[in-house]
Amino acid sequence: MKNDEAKFILHAYRPNGSDAGDATFAEALEQAKQDPSINQWFTAQQAFDRAMCAKLVSVAMPTGLRESILAGGKLDVTQTAQARPSWWRSPMWVGLAASAAVLLAVSVALWPQAVEAQPVLIDFALKDTLRMAHGGHGEEAANLRKTLSQSDLQLGSGVVVDFDELKKQGCRTISFNGYDVLEVCFNRDGKWFHCYVARASDFPAIAAKLKPTFRDGSGASAAAWVDGQHIFVIASKAGREAIQRLI
Amino acid sequence: MPAEVFTQLVDTHYTSLYRFALSLTKNTSDACDLTQQTFFIWARKGDQLREAEKAKSWLFTTLYREFLRVRRRADHVRALEDLPPNDADVAAPEVDVVTGMDATLVVEALQEVDEVYRVPLTLFYLEELSYREIAETVEVPIGTVMSRLSRGKAQLRAALARKDSGLAAKVVSFDTKTRKQL
Repeated sequence: MKNDEAKFILHAYRPNGSDAGDATFAEALEQAKQDPSINQWFTAQQAFDRAMCAKLVSVAMPTGLRESILAGGKLDVTQTAQARPSWWRSPMWVGLAASAAVLLAVSVALWPQAVEAQPVLIDFALKDTLRMAHGGHGEEAANLRKTLSQSDLQLGSGVVVDFDELKKQGCRTISFNGYDVLEVCFNRDGKWFHCYVARASDFPAIAAKLKPTFRDGSGASAAAWVDGQHIFVIASKAGREAIQRLI
Repeated sequence: MPAEVFTQLVDTHYTSLYRFALSLTKNTSDACDLTQQTFFIWARKGDQLREAEKAKSWLFTTLYREFLRVRRRADHVRALEDLPPNDADVAAPEVDVVTGMDATLVVEALQEVDEVYRVPLTLFYLEELSYREIAETVEVPIGTVMSRLSRGKAQLRAALARKDSGLAAKVVSFDTKTRKQL
């Protein structure tokens, strides 16, 4: 592959590492490792792209946009539901729903208490991990990513984060139950992990009950724990064992 | 569709969609309208989507199509034949320029990039979609997306340089005025 061709391809490589597993980039990335000139170009290009991403996500949202969307969408959802035939009223679906309800009641009754108390924040992180929308922008996020990527650091022994500074600098912020959750992705030994950080004060009920917890979802695993003022969730497609090694 | 599912979908995607819309429409109110319209279409038709994990691509694609539908495409989009040659390998990107610049100015620079490049470039910088998903959204081949990203970045760097020199000029004029007053 010629250098021009490698550059052409690497222009499409997202700086947050989401494309690390895409075979299209493999040869061009290898070339960037081997050839100092393209390596220098790629490092500069990624720095520029990262700076652009950080600026773009720091664009402020207009006041009331979210509320307008939710209010308007609610109307549309309601009208659509009213306009459509009520499939769930059919005898077959009513019967199936009743069976499901009985099964659910039995399952809940038999479920261990510890699992019953598990918060859903960990499920939210699992779903988000599978969405491939990851980031962690800004200098503070870069520092945190660097810390998390240290191969000898056991995360369970404590991670220092400045939630407000991370958010201020444009770290990827997602909303869970109306509160901010920050996300930073990092790499350990070639595997990608996603670190979600929430303020314990925003989720007092979860923080009070949460014991170190593992959860396996469809295609990803996660671990959650409370550390002082923050709730941490580490999620990854690399599997439970890989997460256990981090903690 | 349950209201809580809709709320979660909005919370997950509305910021990126708005930023994409802002780069397309170049003004806040049109971007708000376009973002809202996208979610309203989802509220009416979203449950027809069989694969839930494709919701994100669906939303970006719908927003882009709505933008094209509302605007008279022929007036604004340049024919591919008219595209200038690639200004490939412009000197090292100006990271410090971007970092030190206000986000509004950076977005303005992005808005100066030709639309044909700006669309994939904005989607790339939002980091929500891969180049394959961008190709599906814009309905062009993968190679075209890569080409447009390359050319778009070259245009963006030129626009950023213009903004930066504009800022420098403003600083000089302010200093001069201040000195006169003193």
